[in-house]
Amino acid sequence: MDFYLGLLQIIGVHTLLGLSAYIVLLTGQVSMAQAGFFAIGAYVAGMCTVMFGFHILPAILLASLLASLVACAVGFPALRVKGLMLVVATLAFGEIVRLFFFNVHWQVERNGAMVGPEGPEGFRRIRYFPENGWTSIDITAFIWVIVILVMLALWWMDRSRAGAVLRAVGHDETAAQSVGINLTAVKVSAMTAGGFIAGLGGSIYAHTTTHVEHLIFSVVLATFAIAYPILGGLSHVMGTLLAVVFVQVFLVEVLRFMGDWRNMLFGALIVLVMNLRPHGLLGEQPARMFDFLRSRSRREETHAAT
Amino acid sequence: MDYFFFIDLVQGFADGVLFGTTYALIGIGFTLIFGVMHKLNLAYGAASIGGAYVSLIAFLGLGWPPIPTFAISAVGAGVIGYVVYFCCFKFTPVRHPLAALMASVGMLLFIDEVIVHESDGMPQPYPSVMDHAEITLGEIWIRGDLIFVFLMSVVSMGVLLWLLYRTRLGVATRAVSQEATAARLCGINPDRINASTFVITGVLGGVAGAMIGAAVGVLSPLLAVPVTVKGLIVAVIGGLGSIPGAIIAGLMVGAAENIFLVMRGITERDIYVMLLLFVFLVLRPGGLFRSASSQH
Repeated sequence: MDFYLGLLQIIGVHTLLGLSAYIVLLTGQVSMAQAGFFAIGAYVAGMCTVMFGFHILPAILLASLLASLVACAVGFPALRVKGLMLVVATLAFGEIVRLFFFNVHWQVERNGAMVGPEGPEGFRRIRYFPENGWTSIDITAFIWVIVILVMLALWWMDRSRAGAVLRAVGHDETAAQSVGINLTAVKVSAMTAGGFIAGLGGSIYAHTTTHVEHLIFSVVLATFAIAYPILGGLSHVMGTLLAVVFVQVFLVEVLRFMGDWRNMLFGALIVLVMNLRPHGLLGEQPARMFDFLRSRSRREETHAAT
Repeated sequence: MDYFFFIDLVQGFADGVLFGTTYALIGIGFTLIFGVMHKLNLAYGAASIGGAYVSLIAFLGLGWPPIPTFAISAVGAGVIGYVVYFCCFKFTPVRHPLAALMASVGMLLFIDEVIVHESDGMPQPYPSVMDHAEITLGEIWIRGDLIFVFLMSVVSMGVLLWLLYRTRLGVATRAVSQEATAARLCGINPDRINASTFVITGVLGGVAGAMIGAAVGVLSPLLAVPVTVKGLIVAVIGGLGSIPGAIIAGLMVGAAENIFLVMRGITERDIYVMLLLFVFLVLRPGGLFRSASSQH
């Protein structure tokens, strides 16, 4: 039973991570920095509960707000460049965050033991849940309440004017700008919201595993973050959840008997899916999305043809 | 700043510039593929390291001397480059570059995992030449193997430039990168040019992978991601699509890396290199040499 609850917790955390990339992808931007925001959430929330004795809710909220602030700050310089340059900039930012936590030594004494992040050894003993008597069922329910709230919020946003604006920017930047949409504001707010959701995921993650270290928040995790919404397709928030279930349940658990061949299979499977269903598992997204990545010459070519 | 610290800085700078040529090669690979296809091949760094691992079979298994081993690395990475093109770029839709990007990320993970599986995740020794020679200039001494790395990289760049500017294939490649439609009207097959670009950059990456192995002395699966990140930083600082930019940025990143190593230590080194990228993004988003193909 605990195994299945643990699996549900992992699915919940990864869904949050995927959704944080989903909202940024809606505006047509590819952000490889989500693992960095996830790490900020994990470390800050852990520090709040372990080092300063916060309750879990304000700790999570504070960590997520901080992650969203950082995302907002990164958004401005990074969004000056478009498309593929943004991939590189956010990739570098994610590595900066990881290396920052690799170098952080900050321990305080609580109840006779030194606690806090300890550089390469990571941040141990984030034991808020066991110390306060939460059972696995409590933790799982707590995570899924948050996940469902976030999914509902995103689903509602998608149906509202805000969603239309985000998709319009992803659809065709020039057209969106010509009807008076402020591109920078839209992209930076999507980035900020993405940072908040990633921070939520990270802070929950730190408390369920009780131990985080910098190696977890590598490029591989950033890849997972953008892989979920892209594999699931951008037409609906459920696509991300579907992709998380597919990867975490089918690839990780069902194929566990394959040993380390499984990791190879993961890469090969992404390649295969992208060849067979380039628009994601849930199918077609609004046409002409990610136009910005195409060359000007090709754009002119299609304009000439139509 | 005392005298010895200054000597350390100069020493670091010299080593960094010599080693930076390998970053320049990787950066050229990213920049060239971007120039021709307007797509990012994130599997490129892993393919380069993969080539070096292929040559390890020749070195450890067959006992070949270093120079033929390096050649095998170039050939191996060229083959991997074509495989990457075939799997990730040939069939993914032109109108949907995200699919190709994601597929190349999948390829990066795949190559990395194959390397981990075959080598059991352990670092392997890699041969180098002239590693006992050294040149002493006052207080500065320059390692012979680094000079070899530098010379090999410069020769590879020279061959690449000759290929691009003095052969029919090069003319066709530059034509496709400047104006794909017009090139097609002139009877150039863009698919073949794309494939040949992947093979050429693959060979270049194989040389870079072998040189990185030779300079470091060991090959490890952990090299793939840092090489990818450094190569991307070089390509962006130099201006995506610009070869001279990538060369200069490569030397710059190599030098900056070693200077930060002397000043701040190994664990903080890469933070500053990446902050350098952000400085460029804020002050000069187009890179050192803003090329025609990066202005969109």
